[in-house]
Formats: sequence, C-alpha cells, structure tokens
Amino acid sequence: MTEAIPQNAPYMVAAYVVTAAILVGYAIVLALRTRRSRDS
Amino acid sequence: MTLVQRGRWLTGIGLLLLGGVYLRALAFTPVELHQGPAQKIFYVHVPAAWSSMLAMGLVGLASILYLLVRDTRYDRFAAASAEVGTVFACVMLTTGPLWAKPIWGTWWTWDARLTLTLMLFFIFIGYQLLRGAVTDPAVRARSAAVVGICGLVLLPFIHLSVYLFRTLHPQPIVLKPSAPSAPPEMVTTLLLSVGVFSLLYLGFVIQRYALGGAARDD
Amino acid sequence: MRDLLRHAWRVTRKDLRLEFRSRTALTSALVFTALVLVVFEHGRDPTAVPTLNLAPSILWVTFSFASMLALNRAFQAELENHALDGLLLAPISRTSLFWGKLGANLVFVALVQVTGMLLFMLFFNVPVWRVWAPLAAVTALATVGFIAVGTLFSAMVVRTRFAELMLPVLLLPFLLPPLIAAVQVTVQLFAGRPLSEVAGWLRLLAAYDICFVTLATLLFPFTVTE
Repeated sequence: MTEAIPQNAPYMVAAYVVTAAILVGYAIVLALRTRRSRDS
Repeated sequence: MTLVQRGRWLTGIGLLLLGGVYLRALAFTPVELHQGPAQKIFYVHVPAAWSSMLAMGLVGLASILYLLVRDTRYDRFAAASAEVGTVFACVMLTTGPLWAKPIWGTWWTWDARLTLTLMLFFIFIGYQLLRGAVTDPAVRARSAAVVGICGLVLLPFIHLSVYLFRTLHPQPIVLKPSAPSAPPEMVTTLLLSVGVFSLLYLGFVIQRYALGGAARDD
Repeated sequence: MRDLLRHAWRVTRKDLRLEFRSRTALTSALVFTALVLVVFEHGRDPTAVPTLNLAPSILWVTFSFASMLALNRAFQAELENHALDGLLLAPISRTSLFWGKLGANLVFVALVQVTGMLLFMLFFNVPVWRVWAPLAAVTALATVGFIAVGTLFSAMVVRTRFAELMLPVLLLPFLLPPLIAAVQVTVQLFAGRPLSEVAGWLRLLAAYDICFVTLATLLFPFTVTE
C-alpha cells in the first residue's frame, strides 16, 4: 500500500530561509565590526 | 593578506558554496518518501549541529592549551569559537523544531538529544556571560578556560545519553558504528553541506579572532 | 595521600562547624525544601495525575534547588576578611582545599536531601521506604558529580559581578545528565523494578562522577591562583 508523500514543503523553505538569514546576517555583522577596527 | 581579509574571503566563498549546496539539496537530491520535502532540513540542521559541536570542541581544546602554556592567543581563539558556535547553535535550534513539527507533530520535545543540544547552547551563552562578567583579562581567561574544558567534557555524556534514552530523535544515521544507511545521493549532499559549514566556521572564526586583538578587550 | 585526606577533612570540619554555629544556610535550605514540596502539592490536581507519576520529578527538582543553595554559600564566607587568602596561604595543597570544600558541600546537601526525603514521604504518601537503600544510592551518585562541578564554579564566580545569577546559569547544563539519569532510575524504583534493569543509567552516573570529580580537582587550582 503506497501512501502519498507528505506535503510539508513550507517547513523546508522556512528552515532554509532562516538558516541563510542567520549565516548571511552574521557574516554582515562581522564584516561591519572588522571594518571599524582594521587589524591583522 | 591580513587576517581579516583572509577571513572575509573564506566566508564569501563559503556563502557562495552554501548557495550551491542549497541548489543541490533542493533540486538534485531525491525527496524522502516517508518524511517528504521537510526531510531536506536534515541538510542544514545536521551540519549546523556538527559546526556547533566542532566549535565547542575547539573552545575546549584551546582552553586546555591556554591553561598549559598561558598564551593569550588561545584564549582569544576560544572566545571567537564560542561566539561562532553560538551562531551555529541558533541555526540548529531553529531548524530543529521546523523539522520536528511536520515529522513528529510537535515543535519541541524533551527527548535526550534535543534537550542536551539546548544545553550546548546554554553552555555557549554561559561561557560568554562569564567572559562579560569578569574584568581582569587574566582572571577572565582562566575562568573561561575552566568552563570551556568542563563544557567540552560534558559533550560525550550528551552523546551517550542518546543511546540510553528511548527517544523520538532519528537514530544517528551517518555517525553510528555500522555503515550509513541513507541513499548515496543524500549522504553526498550531507557531506558537502558539512564541508561548506566547516568552511563558514573557519571564515567566521578568523574574522572574530581578528576582532579580539582590538583595543576593546573581548 | 594521608595528608591530603587529613587536610581535606580539616577544611570540611571547619566549614561544617562554621555552618552549624550559625545554621542560617542550613535552616533556609530546609525551610525552602519544605516550601517547594508544599507548592508542588498544592500546585497539582490530585485527581488528574497520580502522585506516583510526579513523585520522581518533585523529588529531584527539590534536590536541585537544595544543591544550588548549598553551593551559593560555599565560598561566600571566604569573601569576608580575605579569609580565602588565609586558606590559600595555609600549608595545605589546593586539592585538599577543594576536597574539603566538596566534602562540606556534600554533607550539607545530604542533610537537606534526607530531610527533603522524609518530608516528601510525609506529604505525598509515596511508599519510598521500601526502596530507600537503592534510592539513597542513586541520590548519592547523582549528587556527587554535580556538586563537584558546582564547587569548582562557585569558587570561580564568587568574585564576579552577578555571582548568584552566574552560578545557576553556568551549572544548569551540568545538572541535566545526572538529573535525567536519576529521574529515570527513580521512576523504575517507584514502579518496583529492580536496580539491575537500570544498570546502564547507573553506569552513566558513575562515569559522570568519576570524570567530573577528577576534572574539578585538576582545574580547581586555576580558579584560585593569582
């Protein structure tokens, strides 16, 4: 007996969006903070 | 190339590759029959968990090295790794419930692994709160190192509890003693994603480490 | 080794003597434990959930709070009159100092736990006395490792800002493994299962204790050096 594949794509989209937002967001935050203090 | 520039390059490349992983996961990896599309959250959730564990492990390692040789660079690295680890822990803790809701029917459950990854998050937070609460840099480095080492040692007990506690959480598929039991394309996508997340970890930590050298002590 | 234990015992005795003279911390802890139990009793609907199901949770939450209280006062007294410096200058090793503090904390917590257990039996009418020996063993196992980490951390935070807040925040993750294990074992004990069935959890507790007592002993000197 085959069951239909669950239609839960919105959760997947939400997760991928949140992940991207957090990672890109942090990258931006770091870029801004490192700009303010030039260092090596 | 300065440290900051190196970090930025790595981060930039990492983010681009992340886009590639997204594409592969969403368009070129098969949909799992029982869990549906939501199963693909696996490809961002697991690498995030891996990165935060890696971050914690390196905090612990750097802490041990600091206490042994008292080189402040180790302390600086530990601080950087803790902050980056917190970021990945946030990804882990948001994608986890988003996966749990469609699959298990509930946003959260207090099973062993979920609870204890929440604890990992708290360790990171506690570590950084402690750093913020101590003013003297030497005392701060020592205290943070102590917490860092204890946090690291706690991790195996976290993983151990998973095997003892009857849990809703999917049994470890890749990192269990026997061979991985998922189809090869899925394993490949996962491994690629883990690689990209690790690259991002590196890029983030390098930049954050560079920040630590600024006059404003961190 | 003999000296180590002898000195540690001296420190333990000093702490306990100090505590029993004023008894403030002990009394507060006991009263607090009783209050927590009363709140639990009135906070639940007796018809909805049988006591037996809640019992392990109530017991262990009470013990956790009691432990926190004990740990808070551990290094508090040493802050006055630079007593800690005096202790550090004494011809005893850091390990003795740590084990002494740990011992005092364990005695304190044990007292509160025993009282809490008796009150628990009184208030909740759960047949604890049938399994008191294995229950005592599990309690001891679950408490030792956690209090070791707690003693270490309390030495560390005593001079930071927000010390009373910092200690619970740092300690909570370390409470979870012993707490989860202890509750699981307690549930089985109250259900009349033999200890052999929960051997896995007991092994986890023992491993945790050995691991963290050793680690805390090794790390303690770093928290009190200049």
